[in-house]
Amino acid sequence: MDYANLEDEALIRLIANDRSEALSVLYDRYSRLVFSLAFNSVGDMDAAEEITQDVFLRVWKNAHSYRAEKAQVNTWISSITRYRAIDFLRKRSSRLHFKSLSWDDLSPNSVSIEAANPEERTERSLAAQRVRLAVGGLPDEQKQALALAYFFGLTHSEIAEYLEEPLGTIKTRIRLGMQKLRKAFNEDRRSEK
Amino acid sequence: MSADQHIDNLIAAYALDCLDEDEMIWVSRHLADCARCRAELSAYQQVVDQLPLAVQQRQPPSDLKGKLMEQVNRKDTDTGQESQDFWHRFRGFLRQTAPVWSLASLVVIVLLVASNLILWQQMRGISGQSRADTMRVVALDHTQVAPGATGLIVMSLDGEHGTLVVDHLPRLSEENQYQLWLINNGERDSGGVFSVSKEGYGSVWVNSAQPLADYSAFGVTIEPAGGSPGPTGEKVLGGNL
Repeated sequence: MDYANLEDEALIRLIANDRSEALSVLYDRYSRLVFSLAFNSVGDMDAAEEITQDVFLRVWKNAHSYRAEKAQVNTWISSITRYRAIDFLRKRSSRLHFKSLSWDDLSPNSVSIEAANPEERTERSLAAQRVRLAVGGLPDEQKQALALAYFFGLTHSEIAEYLEEPLGTIKTRIRLGMQKLRKAFNEDRRSEK
Repeated sequence: MSADQHIDNLIAAYALDCLDEDEMIWVSRHLADCARCRAELSAYQQVVDQLPLAVQQRQPPSDLKGKLMEQVNRKDTDTGQESQDFWHRFRGFLRQTAPVWSLASLVVIVLLVASNLILWQQMRGISGQSRADTMRVVALDHTQVAPGATGLIVMSLDGEHGTLVVDHLPRLSEENQYQLWLINNGERDSGGVFSVSKEGYGSVWVNSAQPLADYSAFGVTIEPAGGSPGPTGEKVLGGNL
């Protein structure tokens, strides 16, 4: 069986049946995403490596619990990574030493995505470019608030405390940032049709 | 809050998982009854799902895959050939008896659905166990030790994380604290230690070795301050997933 050409969901089904070859292919496809996301949160290569390994071990152990109707595989894996990294920060109690890595290179040209086939690879790369453009177009204070929430797991009041800004200001920044991203993504979808 | 009063100003933050606990519970409950807000949430959830794509890509260390696969294959070997043979035989038996199992499963599913419907009807209105599309809320019932106390565990979409919120629990002396227990197959893992305010309110981020959804039940006991390796005190809250 040529695992490399299988769709993500087929790989997950095989992983649930203890086929480590499928995990190997899934790793090739998503290890950059997982490692990058982890590194962005924890800002430490060793910790990002530990988190990456842990995320794929969780995928290996919990593949049977994946539900395609709830989320795509890349979303599922990203979500595991995000919360694993936030857990790591909470345990290390180092969230107050955030490095400003969060959106540090939003150049649309620096995107390289692995996928099951060239069409999917192209589609995902284009999607990544669009997301970078949209996030890059946000005002700095909205980007900062979104990054503190997304990468570091801070709540509204924790962000307000960290930035020494009023709670209402932070709520507004998050809401406006998300609204702008939603609008940008919707416009992209419309222009594709 | 009724389904007529929508929560547009909080949904984006809920999707981003950055609401403070009181608002998170509030929104979770509203979403369980409001299709319009669930649709809004779904739209914002798609935004959140795209955010990882904005991260600068970095190559993991080249030896990491080898370490991962070694660990995976080692765990495979540890399970032993004997148990593998057993499972192969067991699967063969299941396949041969599939028609009987199918019928039996159908009957069990019908019974479960019916009993769940009855339970749901009983629980509705006292906000026992509700469920939105994105969060699972597990209600904990009080014991005779803490009459009037309530507890909720709000779990993330993937069942990996959660927060325990309690109310009307008696305030303890300085020598004691409450401890959450995560229960699976009779084994109890600590999910966190916490105290409550003078009003009996408290909350704790649930810290677990495995996804919360893998546990079958939860309990809260009174333990010496700092917590215990296993439950030793009286149980005040409990509930099943």
